[in-house]
Amino acid sequence: MEAKHDVLVVGAGCAGMRAAIAAHDIGADVALISKIHPVRSHSGAAEGGINAALGNASEDDPEKHAFDTVKGSDFLGDQDAIEILCEAAPEDVYELERWGAIFSRTEDGRIAQRPFGAAGEPRTAYAADITGHVLVHVLYEQVMKREIPAYEEFFAWQLVIDDGRCQGVIAWDLLNGGLKSLGAKTVILATGGAGRLYSGTTNAYACTGDGMAMALRVGVPLKDMEMMQFHPTTLAPTGVLITEGCRGEGAYLLNSEGKRFLERYAPNAMELASRDVISRAEQTEIDEGRGVDGNVLLDLRHLGADRIHERLHGTRELSMVFAGVDPINEPIPVRPGAHYHMGGVDTDVWGKTSLEGLYAAGECACVSVHGANRLGGNALMETITFGRRAGAHAAEWALANTTVEVPPSVEADAERELRHLLDRADGERPWAIRDELARTMHENFGVFRREQLMRGQGDIVAGLRERYQRVVVDDKGNVFNNDLTQALELGFLLELADCMIVSGLARKESRGAHARPYDFPERDDENYMRHTLVAWADDRPRVDWTPVTVTKWQPQERTY
Amino acid sequence: MSIGTEITGGSAPEPTMEVAIKIWRYDSQTGERALKLYEVEAPEWACLLDVLDIIKDRVDGTLAYRKSCRMMICGSCGMRMDGGAVLACKERMKPIVDRGHVPVISAMGNMPIVKDLVVDMDPFWSKIRAMKPWLQPGYQEPPEREYLASQEQMNPIHKEALCIMCGCCVSECNSMESDPDFLGPAALAKGFRFVGDPRDGADIERLNEYNSEHGIWDCTRCYFCNERCPKGVDPRDAIAKLGAESVRQGIDHDLGAKHAKWFVTSTKTTGWLRETELVPKTQGIVSAIKQTKFALGLARRGKVPLPFPPHVAEEVREARALHDLLKEQNRRGAAGIVQGERGLARIERTDEGGAKRDIAEITPGEEPAAAGS
Repeated sequence: MEAKHDVLVVGAGCAGMRAAIAAHDIGADVALISKIHPVRSHSGAAEGGINAALGNASEDDPEKHAFDTVKGSDFLGDQDAIEILCEAAPEDVYELERWGAIFSRTEDGRIAQRPFGAAGEPRTAYAADITGHVLVHVLYEQVMKREIPAYEEFFAWQLVIDDGRCQGVIAWDLLNGGLKSLGAKTVILATGGAGRLYSGTTNAYACTGDGMAMALRVGVPLKDMEMMQFHPTTLAPTGVLITEGCRGEGAYLLNSEGKRFLERYAPNAMELASRDVISRAEQTEIDEGRGVDGNVLLDLRHLGADRIHERLHGTRELSMVFAGVDPINEPIPVRPGAHYHMGGVDTDVWGKTSLEGLYAAGECACVSVHGANRLGGNALMETITFGRRAGAHAAEWALANTTVEVPPSVEADAERELRHLLDRADGERPWAIRDELARTMHENFGVFRREQLMRGQGDIVAGLRERYQRVVVDDKGNVFNNDLTQALELGFLLELADCMIVSGLARKESRGAHARPYDFPERDDENYMRHTLVAWADDRPRVDWTPVTVTKWQPQERTY
Repeated sequence: MSIGTEITGGSAPEPTMEVAIKIWRYDSQTGERALKLYEVEAPEWACLLDVLDIIKDRVDGTLAYRKSCRMMICGSCGMRMDGGAVLACKERMKPIVDRGHVPVISAMGNMPIVKDLVVDMDPFWSKIRAMKPWLQPGYQEPPEREYLASQEQMNPIHKEALCIMCGCCVSECNSMESDPDFLGPAALAKGFRFVGDPRDGADIERLNEYNSEHGIWDCTRCYFCNERCPKGVDPRDAIAKLGAESVRQGIDHDLGAKHAKWFVTSTKTTGWLRETELVPKTQGIVSAIKQTKFALGLARRGKVPLPFPPHVAEEVREARALHDLLKEQNRRGAAGIVQGERGLARIERTDEGGAKRDIAEITPGEEPAAAGS
């Protein structure tokens, strides 16, 4: 064992750093471990904002926030978790501000808030269009202040299980090479999403679902894995994110006829309907021939140059660099792209999983506050509130329990498994498998889903997993060998794809991001107002179900 | 070598191009460096990072470089193209290919190379940590809700808040090349992010620290950091603001501060620089006497004008009027240099379809829009 800590946080984005700070402040010896430097985390790419009922731009209260979130989730979110989030949100945002977060301001000097999709009030606190960037940096400042150690560029690969509980992590040290085992009384997974399962995704290369797959491999179930959110405004061809903040500021979505087509799909909320609704509307327009080269148009021109400079500067930069379009003069071509995994490691409201000593927070977790569709601005809020709660609970548990054991046999097994991969001299390079996985997931498990295509995708993934058994790593060295780690990431992604497909097939209804217009076009509360739960057994995923927690809000028809 | 590509999938074949780049490979085990040529087929939309990916996937998996967001926000993929630091995800290859140019890619400068295009950023981060980069609230009672601060009060640090810590500025820093201990543009920009924050109460303490050896006055003002910053942070401007704030707060013990102050006095009184008085005013009498022989040598060869009678510029009134104007506008300290929100607008399209930052809309000393009538 290289080192041991009370609490080890895997992943150092907003959820991971917030968890580490909470654990530290309670008095635990906590360390972060991350395959990239903390400020490189993908939380930093969040643009539009963070939702809290501060009431700075209108009369607002946590209950309204909770209702919007429940309705947005298409009644699949757990209402106890949602109430916790919305109650805690204002104080958690004030704390970020007091730590130094550079929010945009109202006329009277308060944190500015803008309207966002499916929110009844202008509730999204923001820092121009770089809110995630600002939060990642303020959290890293607080990590530096507390001198919380970080194992940077350590690729976490396996969880250590001994005596029926999680006792650490086995990681590949990217800079120096070699497997390192780090012991811990509690481990918090905060590794983010798995958007790299798709070819058009807003997600970073790092978003390969590591934490979800590691949990799955030690028998911890994943929840609602079929629920992948498609963001309505991403840039062709690779899926770079254009913030919902554009529509919050008043931008229009137009089809090839120059019409605001949402009149047909969400006549009241228009461009500020929920993301699943708008992505389906866009895809329908494109499929029915009213798109522009596979896109629709996001028109900001009427907002004027000043407002674009002031509040959407980053958006303008991204449009100009990646699409060659200056939104002051031209509309931006956009289309739906894979963005956020509502599903993830099944946890309770303290981030605890079914395995003692193992926690999860942020996108890699499924508490679940987002249910079948997440509202824009709720992801950053979840990372902060549930990161804090998981950090606190994990620290308290760790301080009350004293032993850590990483059995040598566990280290030896991992070493042998790794050698098996590294020693393989002939075989297929991973990229073709990776690209085929992403392309076919996009085609067969995208905005709209068909039984036959989902089944076909299951066969495709099975074939890819077979090919993965013969995958070959070029780099056999020890220094910055990310050829190795990228191959390991592909192994994670393949298993997660399988989980998503079996969950998607099991859910025979249309709810939130899971749209089956051809066979099950309606929501079916009687049979499916419950979470899918997928666990790994005999090298394949098995689906089970778990109930949705309802506190105040009975399901009702969802229109915008 | 011709390699097909299906990076984005989709049914229609996308237009591709043949890209050639040279990469300085570095083998950390043997210490050997070698410049290698790679020729691959890439989609026309590819940026440098996409080309590196194709090479790593299909030609040589041992090629090492960092990447993550591929949208100019994570700061992972700083490297040099033709000798200047860039973000690999921001550089479109099409215009380069169209020119028939074969760019040379190498690791960033001023940081030890770990392997190929990966540098050791530990020295970078230890300088960031040296700035005590966290808010030290200047208020006694923490506010019940948020601290009240107007947008105008927050604007002065907006550009510094854009910093993604990619290291491009540090890579190109000339001062750091001669003094590896120089705090450098990224750390000092981070420093101004706090000094300029109305909520921070430690500005005097910070300025004193940043004024010490290897601090703000060691910057040679080459402006390479501004030139190479991919996010428009303009670290040199941040260093200038720290200098101006230091002088305003009376923290002027450093030779650099004295030097700058003498420039101001000299230009105000005579309209140009009185070089013979610069050394005694900056370094003190003792040091000046020690350098008398050197100064006489310079004078003999006509390199410095005679101090007497004082040489006054013809249009000295213009220089004096400029000083009066700045005084009247009360633009002392950082306020004289702040570009604020307008600075964010400094991005323009190039003829080649990409985007680049354009020259400053407001140059130091010019009337800022907000402060007008």
